[in-house]
Amino acid sequence: MAVSSTALVDEVVADVVDRVRGTLEDVFAAVAQVAERTTAIAAVRAAGRAPTTADLAALRPLLHERLRRRHDLISGIGFIAEPGLLGDVPAWLEWWQNHGEDGLRPLLPDLDPGTSAYSDYTHWDWFALPRATGERAVAGPYVDYLCSDEYSLTLSVPVQHGGRFLGVAAADVYLRHFEAAVLPLLRRLPAPAALVNARGRVAASTDPRHLAGSLLRSVSGRSCGPIPLTLVTALPAPRP
Amino acid sequence: MSKLSNGALHAVFAPVGNLARVDAVVRRLADAIELGLLADGEQLPGESELATRLGVSTVTLREALMALRQQGLVTTRRGRGGGSFVTAPDQPRTARLGHRLADWSTEELRDLADHWAGVAGTAARLAAHRTEPEDLVPLQRSLEEFEAARDPAARGRVYGRLHVELAAAAQSARLTKEEIRIQAEIGALICLALGEDDARAAVVELHRALLRAVRDGDAELARSLAERRVQDAMERLIGLRLTVAG
Repeated sequence: MAVSSTALVDEVVADVVDRVRGTLEDVFAAVAQVAERTTAIAAVRAAGRAPTTADLAALRPLLHERLRRRHDLISGIGFIAEPGLLGDVPAWLEWWQNHGEDGLRPLLPDLDPGTSAYSDYTHWDWFALPRATGERAVAGPYVDYLCSDEYSLTLSVPVQHGGRFLGVAAADVYLRHFEAAVLPLLRRLPAPAALVNARGRVAASTDPRHLAGSLLRSVSGRSCGPIPLTLVTALPAPRP
Repeated sequence: MSKLSNGALHAVFAPVGNLARVDAVVRRLADAIELGLLADGEQLPGESELATRLGVSTVTLREALMALRQQGLVTTRRGRGGGSFVTAPDQPRTARLGHRLADWSTEELRDLADHWAGVAGTAARLAAHRTEPEDLVPLQRSLEEFEAARDPAARGRVYGRLHVELAAAAQSARLTKEEIRIQAEIGALICLALGEDDARAAVVELHRALLRAVRDGDAELARSLAERRVQDAMERLIGLRLTVAG
């Protein structure tokens, strides 16, 4: 229900921000588990030999369980190896996707630069940001033409062992699913509002003039804390 | 059989349109072989799986495979361990592509150019509104890669990526998918039009100007440059088409 008095609005804004944060923290919790399990796999192998794709297959029960349990929000999840990490292949994604009625399926992209122009995944934000900063990252919204052809957010965390960067654990949240989760929250606000990422790109909005994908430059709002999204409640007029 | 579910092969094996399905399947698979998406000696999926994935009947698929065999691009072996295999033909690459180009009428090429220009132009206009300089970093990288690419197949692959990345910069999943589909349809042949040094230099110059317009937020300039880029490439291709027999 919409509210109007200033104090009440502040309270609702704080609550909305908390819940948006909680929604994505749930996804990060799943990603953190994948990271932890991957580190353990890599650690076991560190002494004797390089880990292999066969070792990473041990992640599958966890990945499948997370995809099934959070099918409302998580559409893809897995580990993406730093090129050169694995002993048997130059590069690898242990990545599983939920195809709805068609079940869970692995993503098997062509990682041979000799045949695919899309073989190098290291420049995508979901890989490059955690590698550069050592911190978790929210990439997007962006069109994920590598994995799903969907407009998505990808949440990723660096996987490290003994000071070495091994790759990233990550999960995909299709924007339509994110929208379904946060629109009921935004609708509680008395005026149109938008969630904006660190680059000023709208991730969800109740203002038809500023929809997902558009840019909102130089606006201020309430930060979602450690999640790099800002709730903007005073939206500018559209450009002429 | 190799990793058949990768992104590019998704496009190769995505359902073909309703009309002239045999031709469409022949074109799709022949282009994939030209682009190296399907390698010499690679086994194609079984007939029923391939037919399902391409969205055609098995009869249509068999007709298409027959045409591909006649072109020397596919060999079929019977019995245990049998199936359809990609065969790299012994004809020079450009001669084969010329043969493929002759399958297209100039009217079909012109129609495809119009459609492609619409997609690319809209994508560029939206990208100008919706990108920050950081979003354009991968696009700059691709342009440098395109300039550096020496062999025609590599050049063709990166050329497609230039277009796909711009559609993704528009923040539109539909436009991106449409660009991927268009690249699967015409990508190998466009390489023919990029054979000359001056043609490539023109592509690079136009693409660089386009990225500048997108970066500066000049939506109308971005749109017209994107349209011109498609029209220039297709004009060269249609020019080539008129020099081949058939």
